Amino acid sequence: MNKKPIVDQDRRRKRALAAFQLLIYGYLFTMFLIQLYMYSVRDW
Amino acid sequence: MSILGLQGTFDTSSAYDGHDQKSRQAQRQADKWMLPGAVMMTTAILGPIGFPLFLKGVALQRKAAAAGLSVRPLICTLLGYLVIMDSGLNSIGWSLDLIAHHSLINRTLVTAWGNMFDAGYFWHYNELWIGGTGAPGEKSWEIALVPTVFCMRLAAAIGFLQMKRWGHQWLIVTCWFGVIYWVGYVANMTVFADLRYNHVVFPVLGWWIYDIFYITPFLAIPYLHTVNREIFTD
Repeated sequence: MNKKPIVDQDRRRKRALAAFQLLIYGYLFTMFLIQLYMYSVRDW
Repeated sequence: MSILGLQGTFDTSSAYDGHDQKSRQAQRQADKWMLPGAVMMTTAILGPIGFPLFLKGVALQRKAAAAGLSVRPLICTLLGYLVIMDSGLNSIGWSLDLIAHHSLINRTLVTAWGNMFDAGYFWHYNELWIGGTGAPGEKSWEIALVPTVFCMRLAAAIGFLQMKRWGHQWLIVTCWFGVIYWVGYVANMTVFADLRYNHVVFPVLGWWIYDIFYITPFLAIPYLHTVNREIFTD
């Protein structure tokens, strides 16, 4: 079997997983910032 | 078994079988320490006892690997037990709140937790008809996740630790479940943040410092999608 497509597929898979990680941690960080903002505007 | 049918001349069966048997024994011995250790850690209270037991098992497995025995890769061991603990910790806390909300241990531990980090477990506690947490949406998460995702994750982790193909596949499925419930749960925490982080000892930051550990299952997804699947058997 030709190895090139597998390597390419692997590279694309790793890139997709990196993008997914950035997305999910970005989402969590955004939620954290929203909570921090809410915390700062109300005098808890 | 023999090579080229020359019985007795190149007999490899005893060496292979012996190695296989020793490897299985070593793995079993290590798991005998790691499993009770991990289960104790899922109870939270017995965690300080469980942790050294777990480490003893890890040490035994590393020793066996160094001796050349065919034991489970360390990353699989850590990942499998991490998922057992993740599902166990979530299940025990939420099951207590769901079905044992009036027990003394629950009222002591959970409301103390609520007072410290998350008022969802303090505000109007045990005042709903179903009892337990009064935080909006929280009860629904308990009902939705404990009998489904966390049970599936526990089963998947056991299969994964046995290096079964279904264990690997179901760990992938339940890790993606994990993404969905985390997105939903964190959104819920944020929408009701002014209720849940109000008048607690460590608002916002405290919850995040504690709960950031719950994202660890996401770290498994890249590994599960890139690992050589041939190491798992039917």
